Amino acid sequence: MVTVELGFIVAAQVAVAVLLTPVLVGVMRQVRARMEGRVGAGVAQPWRDVRKLLRKEPMRAAGSGPLLSATPLVLVVSSLLVCALVPLVGTPTMRLVPDDLFVVVSVLLVGTVALALLGLESGTAFGGMGSSRHMTIAGLVEPTVLVAVYALSIPVGTSALSAIVAARIDDPASVVSPVSLLAIVALVLVVLAETGRLPVDNPATHLELTMVHEAMVLESAGRDLGWLELGSWLRLTALLGLVVNLLLPWGVATEATAFAVLVGTAAVTAKVLLAGALVAAAEVFLAKVRLFRVPELLAGSFVLAFLAVTASYLVA
Amino acid sequence: MSPVTAGLVAQPVLAVVAVLAAVLPRPRVRSVAAGTAAAALGLSGVVTGLMALLGDRGRLQIPVSLPVQLPLDPLVLAPDRLGGVFMVVAGGVGALAAIYGIGYAHGPAASRTGWTAFVVFLLGMQMVPAAADSVSFLLAWEVMAVGSSVLLLADHTARPQVRSAAVWYAGMTHLSFVLLLAGFAVLASSAGGTSFADPAGTSSAATSTAFVLLVLGFGTKAGLVPMHVWLPRAHPEAPSHVSAAMSAAMVKMGVYGVLLVVVRLLPAGPRWWAVLLLVLGAASALFGILQASVTSDLKRLLAYSTTENVGLMVTAVAVAMLLRDAGQDQVADIAWVAALLLVVSHAAFKTSLFMGAGSVLHGTGERDLDRMGGLGRAMPTTSAVFAVAAVGAAALPVSSGFVAEWTLLQSLIHGDGQVDRLVAVALPVTVAVVALTAGLALLTFVKAYGIAFLARPRSDGAANAHEASVSMRAAMAAGAAGVIALGLAPGPVASALGAAVGAEGIGTVGLLGLDLPAADALLDPVALLLLAAAVAVPVGVVQARLARRRPRRDVDLAWGCGGVRLSPRMQYTATSYAEPLVRVFDDALQPSRDVTVGHAEESRYLVQRVEFHQQLVDVVEERAYTPVVATLERLGTIARRIQNGSIHRYLAFSFGALVVVLLAVTW
Amino acid sequence: MSDALFAQLVAATTGLLLLTAVLQVWRRSLHASIRLLAVQGAALAGLVATIGVADGELEVVAVSGLVLLIKAGALPWVLSRVARLTGATREDSPRLNPTAGVLLAAVLTMIAYAVSQPVVAADLGPEARAVPVGLALVLLGFLVLLSRRSALSQLIGFVVLDNGIATVAFLTAGGVPLVVELGVSLDVLLVVLILRVLTSRMQVATGGTDLDDLRELRD
Repeated sequence: MVTVELGFIVAAQVAVAVLLTPVLVGVMRQVRARMEGRVGAGVAQPWRDVRKLLRKEPMRAAGSGPLLSATPLVLVVSSLLVCALVPLVGTPTMRLVPDDLFVVVSVLLVGTVALALLGLESGTAFGGMGSSRHMTIAGLVEPTVLVAVYALSIPVGTSALSAIVAARIDDPASVVSPVSLLAIVALVLVVLAETGRLPVDNPATHLELTMVHEAMVLESAGRDLGWLELGSWLRLTALLGLVVNLLLPWGVATEATAFAVLVGTAAVTAKVLLAGALVAAAEVFLAKVRLFRVPELLAGSFVLAFLAVTASYLVA
Repeated sequence: MSPVTAGLVAQPVLAVVAVLAAVLPRPRVRSVAAGTAAAALGLSGVVTGLMALLGDRGRLQIPVSLPVQLPLDPLVLAPDRLGGVFMVVAGGVGALAAIYGIGYAHGPAASRTGWTAFVVFLLGMQMVPAAADSVSFLLAWEVMAVGSSVLLLADHTARPQVRSAAVWYAGMTHLSFVLLLAGFAVLASSAGGTSFADPAGTSSAATSTAFVLLVLGFGTKAGLVPMHVWLPRAHPEAPSHVSAAMSAAMVKMGVYGVLLVVVRLLPAGPRWWAVLLLVLGAASALFGILQASVTSDLKRLLAYSTTENVGLMVTAVAVAMLLRDAGQDQVADIAWVAALLLVVSHAAFKTSLFMGAGSVLHGTGERDLDRMGGLGRAMPTTSAVFAVAAVGAAALPVSSGFVAEWTLLQSLIHGDGQVDRLVAVALPVTVAVVALTAGLALLTFVKAYGIAFLARPRSDGAANAHEASVSMRAAMAAGAAGVIALGLAPGPVASALGAAVGAEGIGTVGLLGLDLPAADALLDPVALLLLAAAVAVPVGVVQARLARRRPRRDVDLAWGCGGVRLSPRMQYTATSYAEPLVRVFDDALQPSRDVTVGHAEESRYLVQRVEFHQQLVDVVEERAYTPVVATLERLGTIARRIQNGSIHRYLAFSFGALVVVLLAVTW
Repeated sequence: MSDALFAQLVAATTGLLLLTAVLQVWRRSLHASIRLLAVQGAALAGLVATIGVADGELEVVAVSGLVLLIKAGALPWVLSRVARLTGATREDSPRLNPTAGVLLAAVLTMIAYAVSQPVVAADLGPEARAVPVGLALVLLGFLVLLSRRSALSQLIGFVVLDNGIATVAFLTAGGVPLVVELGVSLDVLLVVLILRVLTSRMQVATGGTDLDDLRELRD
């Protein structure tokens, strides 16, 4: 019985993520367009794009292997799995698959690796370039992620995300403690790097030589590209949702009742859209940093996470 | 006779059979006969090790009588649970390498000497963890070293690099032996006996000296920085089945040695021991993976990755010691188990990786990643095996490497730093090191797999690649199956390994999942896979419907942003793949680059050709070893003056020695 | 003021102090550095005010006003004038590459925490727990002094260093007498003013504010 209820929350999370994601991207693009003085394509455009792409036929260049069609699916499934694990709507989790942050991070990395392999599979110069940059960033981000997780886990004594969020609901003051703030700032930088947003990667770039994410998916078309877009956007939703739930834990369902889930859904939708709009607004004022200055940025965020751990051990 | 004793007797017998199988048959059937017999020897090691791991006690005593008046204890072979783990590792890896060798070995490696040396090497490895006193330990250790040295030399007539590699290996392996001999001697004199059961003396100076000597000796064998220099030379030059056995099993004996010291021989050491191990381990992990990520020789990359993994194991051991010292036994137990999980997992994936690299070498004649590409189509099995093993090496779910790294991280974040300043500093630093290592490992293995097996062939050898033979594929597949099995069923494995180091509270939960009550954490890979399958079903259904409606269309050319003249030379190579990383870690790697731009005759502004050379040398080797080697060479040149070939001079030396001895005796 | 609130405020202000110091090492833009310095000054003032209100000492509260005036107001203003005068906008060639600098900052902070552990362990209340932050500020100030070339960045490092000393003083001594604080603050202001003059002279003499150019004076 309990399992059924928990399955209910997980299903709700996946459904919310899938429905919310195109809207989130639409809102972010729209905010950006308006702030830049353009009309914008409307909030529903990403949704229409994905639908259109999924219906179109994919192409396969001579000499490319089965990975071309397999990796987009791997990316989508890994992103959906992350959405299922991360406490977006509610904190109750399945007993055997707890939302352990290390597990979540490695499931995310499965998607990262799938993208990188796709870039190499294409056999073009741009694909390899994107893949190489993507993996360099992913590799350097890892310390920040794990140390930030470590900092958040210390007061709770577990690396399970739902426990961390639940503890924050119980004790809202802990959200604004310096340790938690440092860790969250570090986490935000990491999320921007992982999801290919400014200042690490420009999702709207048309210049191949500056591309990271786009360079890897250049050779994909139709259905494959549709899945790839959806998969990467889902990652954005999941990570953004995680950060806002850590920062503003209110509204997250703590029990698996229909009402709580409803409230949780509404709360996470509002919070994620707001966060997305803020990120988009901030991006208007940001320029992409040079690739070789990205390590500086990541080192900075690493230090913030590291200070969070040091402070919580040596001071608290 | 207990099963373990029977196993201990059976192994030398099987070894003799295997040697006979290597010597007697005609060359055509030699590899099949010797390989099968060696695999049987390996399997007997696995069975014996498993019995020992499950708690069976066996003992084999070999009385030693020499015609001199020396009080020699008998040689005792009696593996405990910990030894059992390593015997399973050595036997399992050995058996796979032997089966692989049936199809792979050719030329000198398939000669009588080659297979005999392999059997001797295997027997030595399986006896090291069985030894229950330092004399038999050193004996087995030396047997292992001699066997591997001969194997390494197999190809020396064909390639001159092999000789240099063998000299380095022999030098380092003897350094290791001398250090161990000294360490055990100090220990024996302080304990009053050579048996491992004798309690060590209480003199802290003696135990500390012994500890440092033993750790350096074992560290040399294990390939810890800065004693790692032989690994990246020896592994690439040895035949691949031998590199697999060396990298996945032999270096583990170094780790076994470290565990033997800190768990069994000197369990209550001062704190700085743990700090020393932590520094060695962390430096090895970072340095190893950094070198691996930027090298483009596939086997050299795997060798450096071994240094990284051994570094992680030693780090786990050091963390366990630190936490044990701080009184956090339950969390320390998790770290002990993590160390052993890392050992077992590395054995599984590194065997498969080296065998995969061997198949690539066999099928293309290439070791250089920059000249590979597109091998996935010609070598589907090798490609699949390499992919699975690379997932293990990159610690992605669901693989053995993921389980091991997850356990290590759990032990790290659950250590309580508030009680202790050293722990408070050590744990976050270690988390960061482990995380950076994991991140770079991810890049390394995406590079290794992606550049070699995906995209288009970059050389003729790669274009004309052919798949490996049946025995090679079988051995590789078994290794890859091991990687997945350990990744799917961590619970029972970890419980058994926990018993080997006396760790309590490591349980099985759910569908063979791993339960760590002390850390309030559990990992159930099967359940995770089931959840993934649940979310994959709708995606699959949509994909199937779409695919039916609109099938895939084949086109001739990749788009490449309009770059129609696509040639394989335009692809990213391993070197270019690692270029951003080389730039980021410029200070640590210190590459030397050389760019020559050739201009067209008409104008300086027209570039005709650009040449780019980049050389990456091992910084540690250059800074620490080159001066020493140069000094030794100078001394050698000077010493040559003593020998000028004149028989009279040699007679004069003997005469002088006689006089000195006479004087010394009578004084 | 309740104990919990007091502890929260001390944690928040010292956290801000540390954060600004680390960012100081990280950022290369001089404008950002000066802004950070202002924030740091304000955080220091906030810390002093918190302690003053908690202890109910009016004098300390007055000192906090002084700190706010000088460190968050006057100093940044003077520095930004120097920046405008010399036209310098960013520290172009730091001696240390920024990534290494930031990592070194982490190490220094850890050292600060590690060495002041005995003070923290003595459990003298929330103020004592923040002592490592002051020490870290001193070390980070030194790092900035060592790793930057331009005179302006040197000034910034010097002020960070001074802020660190002030933090330790306030946290451990429970406040410094008004007169002493007044003297020290004015001293710092004076040093900054002198260096400001020096900077403009250097600008005139060598065309830049790179302190390495001062070596030429020896020849």
